[in-house]
Amino acid sequence: MGKEGEAKKMTLLERRLRRRQLLRAGAAAAGALLLPGRAPAQGGAKPLSGTTLNIACWSSPYAKLLTDYVPQFEEATGAKVNYETPSFPIYNQRIDVELSTGGSSYDVLNVTFIYIGRWIGAGWFVPLDPYLKDPQKTPADWEPGDFLPGATAAFKDPSGRLYAIPWTADIYMAGAARYDLFEKSGKTMPDTFDGVADAMKAVHMKDGIPAFLPENHYGWSFIPWLQGFGGNVFRDPPEDLTPVLDTPEAIAAADFFAKLLRDYGPDGVISYTYDQVVATLKAGRANYSPNGQIFLVQLGAKDSKVAGTCNFSMCPAGPKGRFPGVATHGWGIPAGSNNKDAAWQFITWAMSKPIIRQMVVERGYSSITRRSLIDSPEFKGKLTVNGHDIVKIYLDTIALGAQGYMKYRTIYVYPQVDKQIDIAIQNIASGQLSATAAMTQAQQDSLAELKRAGIKL
Amino acid sequence: MLAVQPSSIKRAAENRRPARTALPNWRREQRRAFTFGLLPALLVLVAITLGPTIYLIVTSLTPLDPVHPHSAADFSDPIGNYRALMADRRFLNSLEVQLKLSAATVVLQLAVGLGVALLLNAGSRFLEAVRTAFILPMVLPPIVVAVVWKVIFTPDVSPMHRALTAIGLPVHSLIANPDTALGAIAVADTWEWFPFTMLMVLASLQMIPAEPIDAARIDGAGRLALFRYILFPYIRPTLVVAGLFRLIDSIKAFPLIYVLTNGGPGTATEVTNYYAFVESFNFSYWGYGSAIATLMVAGVLLLSWFIGRLGVEAERDD
Amino acid sequence: MISERAVVHGAAVLLLATVLFPALWMLQLSFRAGGDIFDLSLTFTPTFDNYRALWTGLFPGSFSNSIVVSLAATALSLLLGVPAAYALSRCRFRARRSIALWILATRMAPPVAFTIPFFLAYRFLGLIDSLAGLVVIYLTFNLALVVWMMRNFFDGVPRALEEAAWIDGCGVWSGFRLIALPLAAPGLGATGVLCFIMSWNDFFYALILTRTRAMTAPVAIVNFMQYEGWEWGKIAAGGTLVMLPVVVFSVVVRRYLVRGLTAGGVKE
Repeated sequence: MGKEGEAKKMTLLERRLRRRQLLRAGAAAAGALLLPGRAPAQGGAKPLSGTTLNIACWSSPYAKLLTDYVPQFEEATGAKVNYETPSFPIYNQRIDVELSTGGSSYDVLNVTFIYIGRWIGAGWFVPLDPYLKDPQKTPADWEPGDFLPGATAAFKDPSGRLYAIPWTADIYMAGAARYDLFEKSGKTMPDTFDGVADAMKAVHMKDGIPAFLPENHYGWSFIPWLQGFGGNVFRDPPEDLTPVLDTPEAIAAADFFAKLLRDYGPDGVISYTYDQVVATLKAGRANYSPNGQIFLVQLGAKDSKVAGTCNFSMCPAGPKGRFPGVATHGWGIPAGSNNKDAAWQFITWAMSKPIIRQMVVERGYSSITRRSLIDSPEFKGKLTVNGHDIVKIYLDTIALGAQGYMKYRTIYVYPQVDKQIDIAIQNIASGQLSATAAMTQAQQDSLAELKRAGIKL
Repeated sequence: MLAVQPSSIKRAAENRRPARTALPNWRREQRRAFTFGLLPALLVLVAITLGPTIYLIVTSLTPLDPVHPHSAADFSDPIGNYRALMADRRFLNSLEVQLKLSAATVVLQLAVGLGVALLLNAGSRFLEAVRTAFILPMVLPPIVVAVVWKVIFTPDVSPMHRALTAIGLPVHSLIANPDTALGAIAVADTWEWFPFTMLMVLASLQMIPAEPIDAARIDGAGRLALFRYILFPYIRPTLVVAGLFRLIDSIKAFPLIYVLTNGGPGTATEVTNYYAFVESFNFSYWGYGSAIATLMVAGVLLLSWFIGRLGVEAERDD
Repeated sequence: MISERAVVHGAAVLLLATVLFPALWMLQLSFRAGGDIFDLSLTFTPTFDNYRALWTGLFPGSFSNSIVVSLAATALSLLLGVPAAYALSRCRFRARRSIALWILATRMAPPVAFTIPFFLAYRFLGLIDSLAGLVVIYLTFNLALVVWMMRNFFDGVPRALEEAAWIDGCGVWSGFRLIALPLAAPGLGATGVLCFIMSWNDFFYALILTRTRAMTAPVAIVNFMQYEGWEWGKIAAGGTLVMLPVVVFSVVVRRYLVRGLTAGGVKE
């Protein structure tokens, strides 16, 4: 690790020289955070000197922003931090192998949304409640209750123990890239499934643009529709894990959704991955997309061709209600870490109010999970795109998310069922199978997969 | 026994030294020298592949799933995974898809590689320069190749689709259509790997001694006859070896499927290797994934042995 | 004859253009600015921003890592494999075919099969995130390639020449060095190029067995596939740059691919 540490030290020094002001303010903040009795003595040893922390997160905007603030933490605590931010697929693959082989190379890791069930369910992260309850380890003004309940809910196991502190909550909502075409056809942003079908029919191929384009990870983008029709993934997670993919409601939902894809999607719609969807929307080559907020807010970006014509709404509601998905990522401590206390110090610092506020104010970061900061005056206007305020959509959706329909996500065998749902929707939309046949096959194969995982149903 | 008397033998006879090969130790010396050459490679290979192979086979006998660590030593049902595989519809489907893809890609890559090699064999300076350019597809990282072809196969932004529409032959998305998805992957794969065959065949063609070719030309042999009776027999073993390698690599095909179709639409392009990856890495069924991999290797080994026998008939034994 | 040559050259150029089209298209992608990345218009203002952005961050280091690992893996594979190939070609012993098949078998396991055991072993030995670790695991597919390819090429060199030399007092390995190797040079060149390319292009092993220090170019390019949106400009620029060393390597090795060294074989 030596050589790498040396290289990192050089660039860190350069950064430090440039950010001296930030440093002083941040050191003060970090110092305030450091617990009573553990403040750095005047000219004495710093609390974590000699400790090396290995930290990794995928390269989200938040994680990349945090890179610039890490020197503050090192300065205040004396710890050395090796901080890496590989891209999403690389991070997930590597960390999954690392965790599943019982490694101890990392002290703080991001718990990725799609792996929550496995990484937490298999006990590869430690519960954080002992740290939260200990006033020596968590100062009272850090306020763990300040985090949106809808965001922390995903990181709790069935008995309610918390395993990660969420740094972002990506909500499932809807966006229209060319709302002007909606208006021309006399439509508004649809709020119900039938409204969506109606609007799609009206704006499809207007100006040569296909109307409907979700991303092809259907185990995420289809579930709100499934639940909106009254269907579900498991019968009653986490107690009853019997998949219920072949109920009449599930079949109806699959049929409806696949029909939207087939009739109103671009050519090859089932091959559009998340990055393609965002690029296509930004270029104004597709219109309406039920999608994650992290993608839809980019429609207002500088290099987006639709910055002036986009509009947004909550996830539409089906006959049985509104069930927008919430995708959270959070900081956790892997079970194999040898520096758990120091790791917790990093987490409390990285998710502290001063640091998050600095990000909001100085860098315009807007995807935060602290209620107090969302309500603060500094945050006002940060989540506004093309004049539309997304904060209300954000808060309402997260509040819904706390109701418990997202529990399917925390089941560690969900990836297997996720894949079956992908396959089923593709089969229906490409005309290979009818909705009944496809969902029945998905059900059978899911049962087989669960059996293979040793689950007794 | 040599049919001709090289000058060296004449020389030896004149000097009244017995021919070296007549010395009793010669054979043994030779054997030892050859063993000395072969052994390092064998030892290294054994060192780095024996362990993992044993690990693979042993894990395939357990329901190993890292989420349940105790499953690592669970030998209660050793052939359980294999039994489940035989009844696994998705696995059997993957075998069929794999066979189709392998057959298509190997045949195409041999044909295209051979064709291009013959074209470039004419021995002009210009063609030699061009030859380096032709290996470009193979030189790009497979991930980049997959990503580039992803865009080419997306009708909305694809220059290929645009061009086809412009000349009046609009084509729908090839990778979203279960009937054409595998073919699309085969085309992308052939584009990427035909330089492999081309390189090997070219090298082989360059090693053909000039005399038989000149003699045949003088005798008035046309290009086709030249190819059929002189060139082809000479390069046939190279084609077999290249084909064998392409077959083995086609079993391992991954980036194209991962980026272009993810095994879809549905499971239309889910080859066995991809299925093993999904089971092992996405679902953590290491035991099951190992069983699939073991079957794959066994199958390819058998196939290779069989093909090797075919090629051996043409071996240039003295 | 002149017109035939022109036809052949013309066909070659046409074929080249068709074959290279996807690569050329990627090249032009690398010069486009962000928002226009998928515009199908042929005229645009080129920019070097993507290339400039590449040189900050991890890409340069990964680039040199790839070069080092590929050269080392190629050299090691040739060093171990060529003599073995020669032995398999020339020595007549019963187990010859089986041994060749077993060598080939080492190459058959898909990366999925070997990744976990190697990961565990490397973690134990401290070889995770090391260039040496990559070189060793690349032997699992390169050695078989070298042995089989070179055996095939040695088979194409008539034994008679070496047998004459052996009779003349030449040792086995001198005969190898002075006769067989030069005559099989085109094959050696081709095999070397292939080894280099295979090592250069490996993604899966590099992904799992390295972190930041030993990151290689293919992994660095995937790093540009960010969650909020792929950085197409950088991916295209990275892909273009990654082509270059291999092309250079092939040009350097080109001499060995040329006929001329094969003139004057055995007179039947």
